[in-house]
Amino acid sequence: MAISFKSLSYIYDKDMPYAHKALDNIDLELKEGVITAIIGETGSGKSTLVEHLNALLLPSEGSLEILDYKLIANQKIRFLKPLRKDVGLVFQFSEYQLFEESVLKDVAFGPLNFGYTAQEAQERARRALKLVGISENLYASSPLELSGGQKRRVAIAGIIACDPKIIVLDEPTAGLDPKGAKEMTDLFVSLNKKMNKTIIIVSHDNEMVYNVCDETVVLSRGKVVYAGDTLDLFNDPVKLKEFDLLEPQIVTFRNRLIEKGFKLSREARTLNLLSDEIVRQVRR
Amino acid sequence: MNNLVFGKYIPIDSFMHRLDPRAKLIGLFLMIAAVFIPKSWWAFLMIAVVELIALLLAKIGIRMIAQSFKPMIVMMIFLLVINVLTLHTGELLFMIGSVPVHHDAIFNTLFVVVRLLLMISITTLLTATTKPLDLTLGIEWILKPLEVFRFPTHEIAMMVSIALRFIPTIIEETMRIMNAQKSRGVDFENGSLSQKITSILSLIVPLFSVAFERAYELADAMEARGYVPGAERTRYHILKFHLADYLFILICIAVFAASILSRIFL
Repeated sequence: MAISFKSLSYIYDKDMPYAHKALDNIDLELKEGVITAIIGETGSGKSTLVEHLNALLLPSEGSLEILDYKLIANQKIRFLKPLRKDVGLVFQFSEYQLFEESVLKDVAFGPLNFGYTAQEAQERARRALKLVGISENLYASSPLELSGGQKRRVAIAGIIACDPKIIVLDEPTAGLDPKGAKEMTDLFVSLNKKMNKTIIIVSHDNEMVYNVCDETVVLSRGKVVYAGDTLDLFNDPVKLKEFDLLEPQIVTFRNRLIEKGFKLSREARTLNLLSDEIVRQVRR
Repeated sequence: MNNLVFGKYIPIDSFMHRLDPRAKLIGLFLMIAAVFIPKSWWAFLMIAVVELIALLLAKIGIRMIAQSFKPMIVMMIFLLVINVLTLHTGELLFMIGSVPVHHDAIFNTLFVVVRLLLMISITTLLTATTKPLDLTLGIEWILKPLEVFRFPTHEIAMMVSIALRFIPTIIEETMRIMNAQKSRGVDFENGSLSQKITSILSLIVPLFSVAFERAYELADAMEARGYVPGAERTRYHILKFHLADYLFILICIAVFAASILSRIFL
């Protein structure tokens, strides 16, 4: 297990008349080496949950284990930096965190903070920028002059360059055009498959979640209502109704085809896989 | 940062909430003046009772007012220490070690403390029951006479209300950027001077770029809705004095007058 929550609660404005319990007695295990989606309506506690993962918030009650680090309610921690190096958190609209005078410097900022030498930091920055597809002629330009999609990729490179074991992305595709969103999705799938990173994505995009996420956690009003296989969740009409989730279009499409006599496997989770299966049967 | 009680609007409905912001502003000035005039405890008691009734009418818990006193405690203790060390008039009450504590030291401190507490609770009452935007409308109305001297009251009021409107947004933005930079290993609390400068820069630069972006967006939105600076404008909410507002101002004048009388006769 990469991460396990044990009866964790988080209360905003504790001891105030308007105290608000954002996370309520969470018991949750997140697996290592897979892509996990965290979904749920606005205000269900997704962002609060995610901010625990690198100790930006500390549990009000209960505890949390991340890799070898333990966060226990009301206990001081001394390993903030190593934890934050191992768990990279990419915020919503992360393009607003850029501040250095050049793209390369900005990406190297994280590694420098985590104790890499200037040369190592630059090397890592170059590698990360290459990975996210920022071309070399942009390295010297100001990050504030880039386009929105480029800025976000630079911001993500800034986290990848720190070489975290776990990468957490909060709404990474929000506000991007379809092509940008597709590239973003491909990016974190390849981070998972090629570099074996554990990926956790907070998202509202059920289609994307269905296409690429192995596991899904559904939050509702600060509680975990589902944690398990993504395909199991989205292929179960009862669960979808219970959690008020929209059925992914690809599931609707496949079900209609099955009604018409096609034999289609559940593993055909993307349009490409599904069309391959259809084509094979039409030819026959 | 969200724990600040002082100056926070409490969104409920009450008699005090419904009063005209102009009446409340006038009341605030009168009451604060009343707090600083008298030299007798009876006058303070009277003001405190009126204030307490107003608090009850505002449905604001006494606990919240007590919260707003919290930041003052250090200052009060400091004041007490200074007074005990410097004021040696009045009868000697007792000794702390070799430090004599005199009657006037204690009572002068108490006087200032009571005045401060009354003033804070009056101000908190105003800000807790009046939306910031209504407050600026009230201030605009009070500054209106200055227009004779070509003082741009409306523009100033618009600027103040925009600034007030964006405080929570900017705080939220600050928190988000701080969190994002912390995730990149920035330590805002510790570190050498040069590290501190970098960490502040990593916060300020994005904050400015966000603020400018928001300013442009807001300017566009205002122009798109036909805002012209300095043009004659009508209002959606027209402020109107009601009977309760006159009564409220009358009570405040009475308290003000009573505190002047107490200074003369008590």
